Amino acid sequence: MESAIEIRDLRKSYGDVQALDGVDLTVPEGSFFGLLGPNGAGKTTFINILVGLVRKTDGDARVFGYDVEDDYREVRDRIGLAPQEFNVDRFFPIHEVLEHKAGYHGIPRERARERTEEVLKRVGIYDKRDTRFDWLSGGMKRRFMLARALITEPDLLILDEPTAGVDVQLRHELWETIIDLNQRGTTILLTTHYIEEAERLCDEVAILDSGRVLDVASPEELMDRGTDDVVVQLREEPTAVPDFAALDDRVESVELDGTRLVVTARQGGLITPDIVTRLDEAGHEIVDLEIQRTSLEEVFVEMTRAGEGRATPEVSSP
Amino acid sequence: MSFDTTGFRSLLRREILRFLRRPRNTFLPPFITNVLYFSVFGVILGERIDQIAGVPYILFILPGLVVLGAISNAFENTSFNIFHGRWNRYIEEVLTSPLSYRTMVGAYVLAAAIRGAIVGTLIALIGAFFTSVGVVRPLYLVVFGAVITVLFAGLGVVAGLWADDFDDLTMLNQFILRPLVFFGGVFYSLNELPGTVQQVSLLNPMIYMVNGVRYGFLGVSEVDPNASLAVLSGLAIAVVGLDIVLFRRGYGLSE
Repeated sequence: MESAIEIRDLRKSYGDVQALDGVDLTVPEGSFFGLLGPNGAGKTTFINILVGLVRKTDGDARVFGYDVEDDYREVRDRIGLAPQEFNVDRFFPIHEVLEHKAGYHGIPRERARERTEEVLKRVGIYDKRDTRFDWLSGGMKRRFMLARALITEPDLLILDEPTAGVDVQLRHELWETIIDLNQRGTTILLTTHYIEEAERLCDEVAILDSGRVLDVASPEELMDRGTDDVVVQLREEPTAVPDFAALDDRVESVELDGTRLVVTARQGGLITPDIVTRLDEAGHEIVDLEIQRTSLEEVFVEMTRAGEGRATPEVSSP
Repeated sequence: MSFDTTGFRSLLRREILRFLRRPRNTFLPPFITNVLYFSVFGVILGERIDQIAGVPYILFILPGLVVLGAISNAFENTSFNIFHGRWNRYIEEVLTSPLSYRTMVGAYVLAAAIRGAIVGTLIALIGAFFTSVGVVRPLYLVVFGAVITVLFAGLGVVAGLWADDFDDLTMLNQFILRPLVFFGGVFYSLNELPGTVQQVSLLNPMIYMVNGVRYGFLGVSEVDPNASLAVLSGLAIAVVGLDIVLFRRGYGLSE
């Protein structure tokens, strides 16, 4: 499969500050790829290098095989960007902003009008087409940012915090639209503070911190690296508990509090049958069982917490 | 990728609509200012002044006022629009598009030059209400008009990329552009200046612009119009070339 984004040893410095410090990353074509990291990790710098708003200091960055600086026109023609900050021309009504943007990409006026109508209907703000951007509500502004990114039918859609500050219902509507686009073949690069969003949407995520990629894996793989809690409620308080740590090296700790037994382990779901069997063999009656799966958020916080002096992770739940 | 005609026309159209839809900001101020200029300098004071270069004073100042209006508006259009776009970041709509840097600069400069030409024409029409205005050398008038509006539109691009604040643009307009115009032979003849001052005045590029346009309207000029045209054309090409280099390097546009 061809790479939508191919990055090798990408560096960007602002004086003494190293915003990107040797990033290597491959985003497969057609994938739904998440870029996670605390504030100041370098996510927006990374995106802006792809679209030409930031010049790299060193390294190689390619989009669909084209160099982002030497072949900037080919690269930018294939990218639709919905940035975190609103950067919209406030002078014109929004339908004209979209028509202009389509025009810059070489789409003739008549087709640009049709596309404008399509994308405004798609994001649900067609009835606001004659309104200027400033007069839209916060949620409508976010919808418009997506519409502007879609107007040119991009092969690579870059969404920088697309659901920041929007309500739950709109967030789910935006997710549906983005998932539909991805299923039709559009490669998606998503940055988000909402870890649940990445967990739910992304095939693969890269954890970026202090300008370096800490890891690239599927959300499932990352969550497997965290620890789950297997919580067992027993009928009677046991005098002793089996040595689960000896049972499996994935077990990290065992805590007994009266009749409540908590086994903390990696891939807790996989070792639960063994825990149940051991307890049963030892004559303990189980009245309740719960597996508290680690969240991607916990893994993310754990990974980005390592290292002194790094930016403080800022994560929140939808 | 080939020359992006559709992209060029889209950006050009946007930039033209931006000033056409704000007539109170674009056309009303030069209209009022020039009605005052023609009334006070042309009619009230002009009647007390003898002919200059063989023409009535009101007719003598008309080309200079046309130049003043045309270049100020061309300069203001690019400098303000580019700076405002940077300030509010909507210039990123253009920068993240596949438009070539030549196309971006070409559209910004041409739209501004068109605004300058419209305002210059408006001022000439205002003058026609006060005196009889003829065009002796129409081709020279058109070519000089095109060259000076492109030159100042190009300089406006540099200013719009350089400015860090709106104050910077005001400073350029009030403390550099306007004094150069006022000492550029708009209201007086070079021959009336003492010898040394006259020589120093020849360093002011406005002298060549005002005299070139005056040659187009009246057929008289205090400097060689062809030499002026050659120098101004060279300057315009150099400045637009500089604009393209600055865009390509991301000066004021990318980090």
